[in-house]
Amino acid sequence: MRSFVASLLAVSLVLPGGAFAAKPRQMSKEQQVDHALNRLTWGPEPGEAAGVRKLGVKKWIDRQLQPQSISEDPDLQARLDAMPVLKADTAEMFEKFKDRKSGAIRPAVQNVVEARFLRAVYTNRQLEDVLTDFWFNHFNVFMDKGADRVFVGPYERDAIRPFVLGKFRDMLEATASHPAMLWYLDNWQSMGQNAPLGRLAKRAGKKGARGLNENYGRELLELHTLGVDGGYTQQDVIDVARCFTGWTIRDGKFQFAPGMHDSAEKTVLGVKIPAGGGKEDAQTVLDIVSRHQSTAKFVSLKLAQRFVSDTPSPALVNAMAATFLKSDGNLRDVMKTMLNAKEFWAADNYRAKIKSPMELVVSAARAGQAELKNGLTLAVAAEKMGQPVYRKLEPTGYSNVSSEWKNSASLMARMNLASAFAQNKVPGLKMNWPDDAAAILSHKPSASLKQTLSASVDKRTAVEAVLGSPEFQKR
Amino acid sequence: MFGAGMAPAWLARAAAGNTGGRRKVLVALFQRGAADGLNVVVPYSDPAYYALRPTIAIAKKDVIDLDGQFGLHPSLTPLKKLWDEKQLAIVHAAGSPDPTRSHFDAQDYMESGTPGLKATADGWLNRALTGREATSPVRAVGMGTILPRALRGKNTAVAIASVPSFKVRDEKTATTFQQLYGADSALSGAAKETFEAMRLLQSIPKPELAAGVSYPGNALGRNLQQIAQLIKADVGLEVAFADMGGWDTHTNETQQLNGLLTQFGAALGAFSQDMGDRMQDVVVVTMSEFGRTAKENGNLGTDHGHANVMFAFGGGVQGGKVYGKWPGVAVEQLYERRDLAVTTDFRDVLGELAAGHLRTSASAPVFPGYKTNPLGLLVRA
Repeated sequence: MRSFVASLLAVSLVLPGGAFAAKPRQMSKEQQVDHALNRLTWGPEPGEAAGVRKLGVKKWIDRQLQPQSISEDPDLQARLDAMPVLKADTAEMFEKFKDRKSGAIRPAVQNVVEARFLRAVYTNRQLEDVLTDFWFNHFNVFMDKGADRVFVGPYERDAIRPFVLGKFRDMLEATASHPAMLWYLDNWQSMGQNAPLGRLAKRAGKKGARGLNENYGRELLELHTLGVDGGYTQQDVIDVARCFTGWTIRDGKFQFAPGMHDSAEKTVLGVKIPAGGGKEDAQTVLDIVSRHQSTAKFVSLKLAQRFVSDTPSPALVNAMAATFLKSDGNLRDVMKTMLNAKEFWAADNYRAKIKSPMELVVSAARAGQAELKNGLTLAVAAEKMGQPVYRKLEPTGYSNVSSEWKNSASLMARMNLASAFAQNKVPGLKMNWPDDAAAILSHKPSASLKQTLSASVDKRTAVEAVLGSPEFQKR
Repeated sequence: MFGAGMAPAWLARAAAGNTGGRRKVLVALFQRGAADGLNVVVPYSDPAYYALRPTIAIAKKDVIDLDGQFGLHPSLTPLKKLWDEKQLAIVHAAGSPDPTRSHFDAQDYMESGTPGLKATADGWLNRALTGREATSPVRAVGMGTILPRALRGKNTAVAIASVPSFKVRDEKTATTFQQLYGADSALSGAAKETFEAMRLLQSIPKPELAAGVSYPGNALGRNLQQIAQLIKADVGLEVAFADMGGWDTHTNETQQLNGLLTQFGAALGAFSQDMGDRMQDVVVVTMSEFGRTAKENGNLGTDHGHANVMFAFGGGVQGGKVYGKWPGVAVEQLYERRDLAVTTDFRDVLGELAAGHLRTSASAPVFPGYKTNPLGLLVRA
């Protein structure tokens, strides 16, 4: 992926932004409907394609781009409402974490994981939910790191989901100041070398008096904004980290602690941040990096990899980046540029991406009109295939390049998932498979699958063949 | 069913109980997150080390002395036995010539084996197989749900999440899926490897642990146990890869490293014990993308640094010695005045082991564009 960023930056010097080189062959109308459903939702439900055709693909997309205009599924809403922990703020959640003996933490964590899958399977605001997954992964935090067990739920709810079609700058600050991120990348502990509190501790002769921690500063530049080749130095990492000193957590909530802040002068990407500042030093950093052209390109590339192709053209990425810069990081506009591009609808991109484990599991549940008694069932299935939700340890998140999932362990797991789902004996999960197994697919089955189905001895074998087939692995 | 007529050569050999017989195996272990080499193999005789790390240094009295200059972290007792038996070699201040402090890039470079070059499509461990006869569908195995970068490339390599679960419901299901995937242009290659490996693995005996061996319950322990199983079953394994995450100790390093190294050492110790005499066929080598700052940071941890330490044991490894030139940790000796300097390119270590132990093909370079300088880690055959 990184190699591609490098080549992209090189190519961009030659190609003017927005210029599309060749005109690719386009999908048929029918394929367009299927494609939109496969790329912009977690996978079509039976009959959903007919609805989109009736409304028109463009109109359906416009609606998905305005999630507030879509009424939410009342059953889903009722089930989410029945889990009060989903409304708890970080301070309340932190209380549960501190009071380990009460055992309140376990159901709290389970509800958050369960809600993640209930939403994916049942929400009518499918694009918003898929984007929530994308952006959570971009700003990844790891649920098994201490207090992030309880911060993850509020993080996705408050720092990610509200902004996925909003301003990048807003999401960036929401993540930067959220206890989940402050905890995950250690910034809550980072202290200026000459900050008042540090000096006090040193004078008291305290061993290991606190100081600077570069972890967040580096990942902000490398993973959240500019990208690894985006043009920053080790000194930039240090000065960004210095600007963020004092951004900490108190009683489970964000707090700016002036006593921890390094208020001396810093220089970030060539911009002087004068001495004497406080909380706003870091906000200045966020202003700089969120409007940087490397950020525009890096974010656009990742979006295009998730939604268009493992190898999107530099022209497409440049067009999206241009929109990003022109609209001051308006992510709805960036999505529109991507969805209006011919490349999104190129025949070569039809069913060309391999589903991630989460995409596979949720798409099967949607295709089977699953009655999920327990959303954890799907979480376990995705974890077995190598994608535990909220539990990617590394800040990189999972790759958006789908060929990552093309290997023997993954194929084996996919075939076994098909067997388990077809047999309908997974606890907490009831699938309503159609009598004609081919109807599970939102497109016409391939010749070889057709042949297999005609030879299938019973419904279970037929469903197993469809779910485990190469074509169901793709979107 | 799998008709005899379409059986590949290796299956016929497997049926005859021979997929190449005993083979030399190279096992590569990756510590992801950048392990703190200075607290793993401690330069305890150097006062500068203690000056840099007032709170997280490993005290002289706690290290497991190796040679009067270096000592193992106290959680690595299982490795001391290997050292005493002269099986375990240590290369200190090893690393990449590329200066990146990005986990992602540095891991990528170490696995592709081409520091600084992002366009390299294949990994060094896959290239190590080029030019050798392909005798088994499980000649290259990566433990986990993703095929590691080091194993990607044109030679067959399979990812195995777990050996016992590497099968489908029944033979009929297998046949059905094999036909379906055979007709799919994007997935037929991966599927072919998968089914061939599956059929071979179904034929191997259940693992038997050597007496008194107990692997730790962590993922590395489970994965090494399964690698041992494959080696003992003589299925034709030549290279294997496993990894362990969690080494990114920006805070609270003392406690974290105690836990990580206890698991790491126990897994390596159990593997060596489990392999017994077969260890003469096997070399295990460990690596991590870069080291950590020589000076502790402000949160009882360390940030991203440069050189690190590598272990190699088994086979003809001449152990009981710390290899490599020690650059020192006085401030003026540090790389960019903050990190342990690299004095041994990681490719020198991996290259010597690949060439000397696996006897890789001389015409297919494992590290293209780089001339390996052997350290003399292996007994000359």
